[in-house]
Amino acid sequence: MTDIPMPLAIEMSGITKFYGNLAANDSIDLDVRVGEIHCLVGENGAGKTTLMNILYGLVHPDEGEIRIFGEPEHISNPMKASRLGIGMVHQHFKLVESYTVAENVILGQEPKKSLFIDRKAAYQITKDISAQYGLAVDPGALIQNLPVGVRQRVEILKTLYRGSKIIILDEPTAVLTPQETKDLFKTIGHLVEGGKTVVFITHKVKEVMAVADRVTVLRRGKRVGILERGNITETALTTMMVGREVMLEIDKKPKQLNGVLLRVNGLTAKGDRGNVVVKNVTFNCHRGEIVTIAGVEGNGQTELIEAITGLRKVLYGEVCINNENVANHSPAQVRAIGLAHVPADRISIGLCVKEKISENLIAGKHRSHTFQKGIFLDWKKIQEYSKKAVNDFDIRTPGCEELVQNLSGGNMQKVVLARELLFQSDLLVAVSPTRGVDVAAIEAIHQEILKARDSGRAILMVSTDLDEVLQLSDRILVMYNGEIVGEFDPKNTTREELGAYMIGARRQEKSTEAAVESVVTHG
Amino acid sequence: MVESLFPKGTARFWTALLSILLAFAIGAVMIIVNGDNPILAYSTMIQSSLGSVNNLAATLAVATPLIFTGLSVAVAFRTGLDNIGSEGQLYMGAMAGALVGIYLKGLPTTVHITISILAGAIVGGLWGWIFGWLNVKLKVNLVVTTIMANYLGILFTSYLANYPFKPPRAPIGSTTFVQDSARLYRFFDSSTLNAGFLIALAMLVVYALFFNYTKFGFEWKTIGLNRFFARYIGMNIHRQMLWAMFASGGFAGIAGAVEVLGVQGRFVQNMSPGYGYDGILVALLAGNSAPGILAVSILFGALRIGGIGVEQVTNVPSELSSVLRAIIILLVAAQAVIFAFLKTRRKKHHELGSTVRS
Repeated sequence: MTDIPMPLAIEMSGITKFYGNLAANDSIDLDVRVGEIHCLVGENGAGKTTLMNILYGLVHPDEGEIRIFGEPEHISNPMKASRLGIGMVHQHFKLVESYTVAENVILGQEPKKSLFIDRKAAYQITKDISAQYGLAVDPGALIQNLPVGVRQRVEILKTLYRGSKIIILDEPTAVLTPQETKDLFKTIGHLVEGGKTVVFITHKVKEVMAVADRVTVLRRGKRVGILERGNITETALTTMMVGREVMLEIDKKPKQLNGVLLRVNGLTAKGDRGNVVVKNVTFNCHRGEIVTIAGVEGNGQTELIEAITGLRKVLYGEVCINNENVANHSPAQVRAIGLAHVPADRISIGLCVKEKISENLIAGKHRSHTFQKGIFLDWKKIQEYSKKAVNDFDIRTPGCEELVQNLSGGNMQKVVLARELLFQSDLLVAVSPTRGVDVAAIEAIHQEILKARDSGRAILMVSTDLDEVLQLSDRILVMYNGEIVGEFDPKNTTREELGAYMIGARRQEKSTEAAVESVVTHG
Repeated sequence: MVESLFPKGTARFWTALLSILLAFAIGAVMIIVNGDNPILAYSTMIQSSLGSVNNLAATLAVATPLIFTGLSVAVAFRTGLDNIGSEGQLYMGAMAGALVGIYLKGLPTTVHITISILAGAIVGGLWGWIFGWLNVKLKVNLVVTTIMANYLGILFTSYLANYPFKPPRAPIGSTTFVQDSARLYRFFDSSTLNAGFLIALAMLVVYALFFNYTKFGFEWKTIGLNRFFARYIGMNIHRQMLWAMFASGGFAGIAGAVEVLGVQGRFVQNMSPGYGYDGILVALLAGNSAPGILAVSILFGALRIGGIGVEQVTNVPSELSSVLRAIIILLVAAQAVIFAFLKTRRKKHHELGSTVRS
């Protein structure tokens, strides 16, 4: 590696942090040059967040030194970090929803006119900073009315207003749609042009390739390597992150269809705001087949799945599982007929995070005779069952008595998957099954889904990740603006073609005709 | 939901204990300002509430209805239902228990008592169920309806006790006395402590077993913690919530029936000095745990009885106990604040434990 002497913004050396016996950081070195985009990558639990929390003064290291712009510093709290010019955008935004953009930006360091807050100045400051760094926001807009991508921009503005020279972004893309991610990358470009240094935490290889000047890879609390732009390849990165070669191409057996299991006919449903967001959707899914609904988030996929699984009212149309119409049945009834469901929102719907792992694993089966002893629950059997599931699905936890809220995001998702796959139901509906999950776990989850398919179950998947869609599906349906606008064989299509349908630039005509027909019949 | 404002688990225990100790400390200051000796006052209080069999019996007699109403509120809170209508449910149950106790005749004692208490439980339960139904089916706010239901229940039973069922020449609104076969056994001549206390202990055990070891308890708890998850996973949340409201009202109804059959001997208007409302405090302070409900109920009983003793021995008026209770209530209400304070302190000292996950 050629080492041109370049000024360093951050110099962390020998950082060690123990939690009990677990070394979250094990003498990690991190050098970030002034004005670069430095990616920090690693699987869930690799120690990325701990390292950044140390830098931001939220966590104090057991050992190690930190230099900021060459000066040795002891960062005791976030206020100190802020004074040193370090700003952090957390995964979960810290914004006041009922305040405007400008009010949020100045909150805590308000420009004053005698005793009062100078709102005009606040407005102007926000405008100036956003113009300077190309961050398009309306200073007068209320946060509660803004989409996630714009809220993130406000968070970045906040750090800029506080004079940050180093901006840490903690998994900023986890909550963004593909389009918003693109916009974020542009923003990051503007920041660097403006002389800022950016530390970008992620575990998505594609994003690293797109933005990184340099990458530091962590694995299990240790630094395993640094790559410079030009040396960054997908295989090199994943091998470093996982410690072995991950099968990026999925080995798939030919499909063996065995009759239609799920038939959705003319399904129409309203969204939360009362407008129709699922419009005359018709498709079916066979046993032994993975049908994927691809689309940009917010085009009715969530509502469609909710309508199929009994969580949302069906306005018109049929949902037949095994030839039984389950439209407007309760989730309990649909499950009884043969549904397993991995929902998009695992924290507020897919799990009860304040209960134990074991309780989450048996929920839904808790009435079965297997887990009863007389009138009581058989906790011993529940324990055995949970232990096995935790082992089989490689859920990393001290024990199945642990509360789910103490698990990392990837392990939470594994709990949902374990529970739902173990239902052995005929139909598996999985929404973004690998979102927020690290590379090794993605592979395992894909294998489980394929296993379910090969055992003759029907799988309906929803995903915004085109790689996943192309690798896993037997058939792809593209949903745009509440309608199915195209049907594709993954072998005969490309990312570009799918992309064009996803953003509504193209559509296959026959599906509209079918839609019109069903309006007439159901209207 | 009320429950979500409060800490969980051991944090709950420590904040509760802290609230109580703090209340006694503030009380001590007030006693000193009053020119009395707080150590003498408190030792008298303990002596006269727990110091002898008779005193202990008096304390437990006061604790008995609080255990029932505490259970009533705890069942609802754990299922995520803000039922604060225990007071009205208690009155409805008391009237039902009284009427069955009066008008059923010639039954063996155990049978008569069982039927009377069951009648109280069912009528109290229905008085909860109705408002649960309004909440589940018509989305009517449960807090509002159950507050109103208190007045409805109290005034309706008061009407019954003043008109249709009032014995001639009775000085106040009341029914006639229940049959002897419906009287709960009293342990001592000098105390109203009766077999109702044993029923209360049994109900505490039932409550603990139900929530920790049965599938329905598991469903109720899950509904209380995450209603959306419960529905998604296939629990019939509306049906279970209605049963929970019935159980909640049922416990309050038993409180009323036991008060009639064991203490008053008949229904008397205004017979409850706010046991239903106290139940809310008991449940909150106890963190809905069975041992907690028992401990807090006895504490409240001891305060009431001890206050009377203090007045006899020192110059401190018996209102001291009301003051202490009021401070505890204030501190309980502020528990969320204390909890937040402890949490930030802990963060400062031990840093973010959760950051090990990245």
